[in-house]
Amino acid sequence: MTNGDGMRLSDYLTRDRTMILKGDTKSAVLDELIGALAGYIEGVSRKQLTDAVNKREALMSTGIGLGIAVPHVRMEGVSDAFVTVGISREGIHDFESMDEQPVRIIVLIVAPHDRHDLYIKLLATVVSLLKESSLRSRITAAETPEEIYTALTGDRT
Amino acid sequence: MTGIINLDSAQGHLSAMIVIGLAVFFGTIGGRIFERLRIPQVVGNIFIGLLLGQSVLGLISRDTIRSLESFSLFALSVIGFLIGGELHRDVFRKHGRRFLTIVLAEGLGAFIVVGLLVSWATWMITGNLATSIALGSVLGAISSATAPAATVNVLWEYKAGGPLTTTVFAIVAMDDALALILFSFTAAAATMLTGHGTIGIMASLGHVGWELAGGMMLGTVIGYLLNLLLRRAQDRDSSLAFIIGALALSTGIGKLIGVDTILASMALGFTIVNLAPRRSDKAFKIVEEFAPPIFVLFFVSVGAQLNVGGMAGWMWIIAFVYVIARTIGKFLGADIGSRLAKAPESVRKYLGLCLFSQAGVAVGLSISASHRFSGDLGMAIIMIIALTTFIAQIVGPPSVKHALKKAGEVGMRITEEDLIASYRVADMVNRSTKNFPPDTPLETVLSHIAETDELAYPVVDDTGKLLGVVSLNELRRSFMSRELNKFLVVYDMMEPPTSFVTEDTPLTQAVSLMKRLEVDFLPVVSAQDRNRLVGMLEQQKIRQAISREITRRTRVAEGETA
Repeated sequence: MTNGDGMRLSDYLTRDRTMILKGDTKSAVLDELIGALAGYIEGVSRKQLTDAVNKREALMSTGIGLGIAVPHVRMEGVSDAFVTVGISREGIHDFESMDEQPVRIIVLIVAPHDRHDLYIKLLATVVSLLKESSLRSRITAAETPEEIYTALTGDRT
Repeated sequence: MTGIINLDSAQGHLSAMIVIGLAVFFGTIGGRIFERLRIPQVVGNIFIGLLLGQSVLGLISRDTIRSLESFSLFALSVIGFLIGGELHRDVFRKHGRRFLTIVLAEGLGAFIVVGLLVSWATWMITGNLATSIALGSVLGAISSATAPAATVNVLWEYKAGGPLTTTVFAIVAMDDALALILFSFTAAAATMLTGHGTIGIMASLGHVGWELAGGMMLGTVIGYLLNLLLRRAQDRDSSLAFIIGALALSTGIGKLIGVDTILASMALGFTIVNLAPRRSDKAFKIVEEFAPPIFVLFFVSVGAQLNVGGMAGWMWIIAFVYVIARTIGKFLGADIGSRLAKAPESVRKYLGLCLFSQAGVAVGLSISASHRFSGDLGMAIIMIIALTTFIAQIVGPPSVKHALKKAGEVGMRITEEDLIASYRVADMVNRSTKNFPPDTPLETVLSHIAETDELAYPVVDDTGKLLGVVSLNELRRSFMSRELNKFLVVYDMMEPPTSFVTEDTPLTQAVSLMKRLEVDFLPVVSAQDRNRLVGMLEQQKIRQAISREITRRTRVAEGETA
């Protein structure tokens, strides 16, 4: 999937970073998502990532409604942008989402500190994709991570 | 060519060179010290000259001074050139009649008051009426001249601009001519009165007429030629060479054909500035840049020429009367002239204070008088002018400075760099910038920036500590998707502060830091507590404030009342 600026989500999201989440709390699912990323990002520890994400969540929840959450953080020492996606079948009830609904789709975005442009573009791309309810249904109905990945990146280009 | 080295002349050269070196070196130091004491640097230069010269140490001999004479002439030409450059035609067109009235009034004022009081005092002392009137009238004529060099130097040093400054420029450029004319009359009359010779008034007048008219013609012709050369000269170096060459030629030829060399160089500067105002700006800037050591040397040698010790008792009294009378005459004349000319109040009130200086022309005329009148009369004129010149040169510049200050014309012609250098960050920081806590929703920020014109906003935590800066540039990216505005917070958009400055940082330093970092703004923190944010410093705001201030000052300098 590309948008007008040539942003391809597949450049930043890999198959093994899409998952069906096991946890049922905000901190548990965030930890799962961070765990999937930690191996990819050199020079930044899992703890550092967790701290940064939590610090941002403390300011204001990234649960933006419609069952979507987009935790995001810019960090020093990160060489490229990374995206990881997870879905929760039961929904996460303590995400403090804007519409106070449980969160089912969580997209974690980690971007290099000095790539403001890329950061905002990724956020915008993810948000505009997930605005479509048909896509949201496909993703939440996915049986396997593969299906999530395909729904997000594959068959729309 | 005998191949034998002429030791005498070699040594003569060497000593002159050493004197030049010492004079420039110590003269500059003296000037700096006086500047610290808030006294114009010229006084320091002259004071050092006095120390090194005839009056105290005697390190600079009369011979050396004589050997520097052509140099002094050149220095005066440089000064004349710069004064000529101040006389834009439109200023004359606008104020010409006003200037003429004031010049006549202040010059004649000094002439009449000095003439009467000195004649009277001399008569009381000597009992010889003819000699008294001769001395009084000649000294009166000499007293009407105002020395451009020292006066104008103060105007430059304090970057003065305004009605008073313009008037002073015009007067010092014009009243030497008046002095020459008065002198030719009175000298001829005095010669007949004291039976010293047979040069008639007409011959004497003709001579003066040639000195003035010839000088102006010479300067104008050379000015035209120099303008042609400058038009072709692309680079600074050859422009400088052409200008120095033209000044030296004008001085040398002027001396050769017996015209007033200062007037010639003024006409030269006047021609250049009025033929090509824009290009000549650069030319005058070049001259101003190389002029300082020349001025220092000149003023040191002025001080060195004076011999305060060698004067007869009665001459001190006459000198005293002369100073008082000249002061009264100049003040009265300036006041009356300003009233007649309907000059602005600042001119009427403070012009008198700007006219004390007396130097080159007065000393030159006194030397010329001493050639005419043998014995005591000639000696008295030289000594009295020497002593009073010294006094006038000590008192003159500080009183010009005082007048400029009172008239509010100090620093009115300042350049942007000078102005920036006069501020600290504290003077320019925007203290009312809105600070955002990191969790402020982007929507709130966007609606705020719509109402203000700042380029960047500080992000601070609840203790007031600076976390980062969010700039319009970053915020602009969020326009990409309106949905983002709802859930992004300012924390997502801010940059950590790349650098910051404290309130007490000189503005020049802050501006060059911004240039080096290629940023348009810098957060400003308290000098005492670097964790406490004071506000934002924006390059654009600085530029606006500076150019507003420059415009204001230029307006004042051009005589519009603010």
